[in-house]
Amino acid sequence: MASVELTGITKRFGAVEVIRGLDLQVADGSFCALLGPSGCGKSTLLRMIAGLETVSDGMVNIGGTDVTYEVPAKRRVAMVFQSYALYPHLTVAQNICFSLSLAGASKAVQKEKGGRVAKLLQLESLMDRRPAQLSGGQRQRVAIGRALVRDPEVFLFDEPLSNLDALLRVQMRLELAKLHSDLKTTMIYVTHDQVEAMTLADKIVVLDKGVISQQGTPLNLYNNPANRFVASFIGSPAMNFLTGQATTSGAFHITLTGGAAITLPARATSGAVEIGVRPEHVHLTSPDDPKAAFQGRISVVEQLGNTTYVYVDTQSGQMIVEADGGIQIAPGSAVGLQMDPERLHVFDATGAALPPTS
Amino acid sequence: MTYTSLRRINIAGGILSVLTMIGAIFWAFPLYWAIITTLKPEQDVVKPGLNLWPQTFTLEAYTHVLFTTKIGIWYTNSLITAGTVTVLVVIMSAAAGYAISQMNFPGRRVLWWMILASFMVPIPALIVNHFVLMSQFKLLNSWAGVILPQLLAPVTVMIYKQFFDSVPKEFREAAIMDGATELQLLYRLYLPMNWGITTALAIITFIGSWNAFLWPFLAATTENMMNVTVGITQVTDAFGVKYARDLASAVLAGLPVALVYLIFQRRVTQAIMLTAGIKG
Repeated sequence: MASVELTGITKRFGAVEVIRGLDLQVADGSFCALLGPSGCGKSTLLRMIAGLETVSDGMVNIGGTDVTYEVPAKRRVAMVFQSYALYPHLTVAQNICFSLSLAGASKAVQKEKGGRVAKLLQLESLMDRRPAQLSGGQRQRVAIGRALVRDPEVFLFDEPLSNLDALLRVQMRLELAKLHSDLKTTMIYVTHDQVEAMTLADKIVVLDKGVISQQGTPLNLYNNPANRFVASFIGSPAMNFLTGQATTSGAFHITLTGGAAITLPARATSGAVEIGVRPEHVHLTSPDDPKAAFQGRISVVEQLGNTTYVYVDTQSGQMIVEADGGIQIAPGSAVGLQMDPERLHVFDATGAALPPTS
Repeated sequence: MTYTSLRRINIAGGILSVLTMIGAIFWAFPLYWAIITTLKPEQDVVKPGLNLWPQTFTLEAYTHVLFTTKIGIWYTNSLITAGTVTVLVVIMSAAAGYAISQMNFPGRRVLWWMILASFMVPIPALIVNHFVLMSQFKLLNSWAGVILPQLLAPVTVMIYKQFFDSVPKEFREAAIMDGATELQLLYRLYLPMNWGITTALAIITFIGSWNAFLWPFLAATTENMMNVTVGITQVTDAFGVKYARDLASAVLAGLPVALVYLIFQRRVTQAIMLTAGIKG
């Protein structure tokens, strides 16, 4: 096991700078998710840790050793690729033991180590098959097994579940979580799926255009987003955003586009702001409820069984409300929307979160 | 589809089949003629008239070629030279194709253009240069002299490069993470993953080298160094042309190639399509 420390990492492809002076510490034994939209540089960052991509500037430190210019095989890291990259001409056993075979390990050692990995991943009955004869989940497990057999100090995962169907993805997610709790090895996991990041990681690093937008525990990012980007990226369905004008005469008043007004605990800004509220923190009420922040009309109702997502058109914009699964409500109905002021997030014109001053 | 239109298609198909069969007969007749000629006594061969079936069967032509000429030595020479050419061409082309496709080094592009350019120069245009070169190296009348100029195979380099280009880069990266060196990448990953191409190219290179005539004819002038294709020109007689013997030696010379073709028919077809630029 080892910690990973990145200092001032910059990556340029010609004139384009995709990672810009990034600093990151991943503690020994932690599960860190690199989360961000396509093109934010998360895979490039992972590949730089792996050694598959050179670093334009900065230092990569694994387990206290500077490995910036070290070849991938000597970094004591293993990587699971999005496409699994299983060698099609080799059997499962040969795939798993490929690194051992390259290193000249004896057949007995290969059999012993390969067998141990196969047992851990329940691949024993598949050892003589070729990758083409395996299902997506089985291939995924073989790819993990190939990484596991090397006894790496750091596991790198590059969107490993994105090729699986929804059901299998949930199953593999659980298996990965279990694997981490069994092995306690440092894992760095690249994904654009915030559900995967939230459920697997103990630390999430949100990347935006090559810089870290925010890092922290999943719940910290969910409850206290540092900026609008993180607030919009984490949470499904996404946070509702409404624009308005803030005044700080006495209390902190916001007049939303469309005329509705809300009062919040004091914040240190005035002028154009955006408020954000998660769908589960907006409640449906009757349109003439005096506690309703504003009124609207239901445009779409999505009933998922355990929960219902209600899309409400208001004068300030469309809002998504998470309601009870059994709610009986029809599109076209007029409703009032009530928001919990403590759960509201305020962002200034640059997108930075504005916490209450007191 | 109506009965009439189905019938029309059947008639068209029938006519096409008949035309194809006539074409096949035209193509196969000389082969048939050669084989039945080898089974006739020499005096029957020169008899006037068209004798489509031997009146007397004999293997005299074959026994003569097998036991009174140096065909055994010529076979050995052909096997050694064609085998060596095949192994070396495959190894060198795979290595060159891999280097150009997967490795970054100064001059890679220039090297690639040189290989492409060399493909456009016909081998007979270089034959005088080859002869002078081999003569200066004192390699004429040696296996090395026959083999070396046949190692120029830009087309196989190009085919390997094309196939290595199409291997997804994740395989390479996964193997690099596993600790593979460039040589291990080539021999443990890229070549086995393109094994079909290697066998196809090896077969067609072997057939090409076995059938080569012009260069082995120039490079080997002593009977003991001749390939079978050159050697059969020596099956002459002081008393005129002996058709049965000449054709028997030709049949014997062509037999290994015919066998290779029959055994690896699909691979040979694939290789011909590859070298013609059609991906099989």
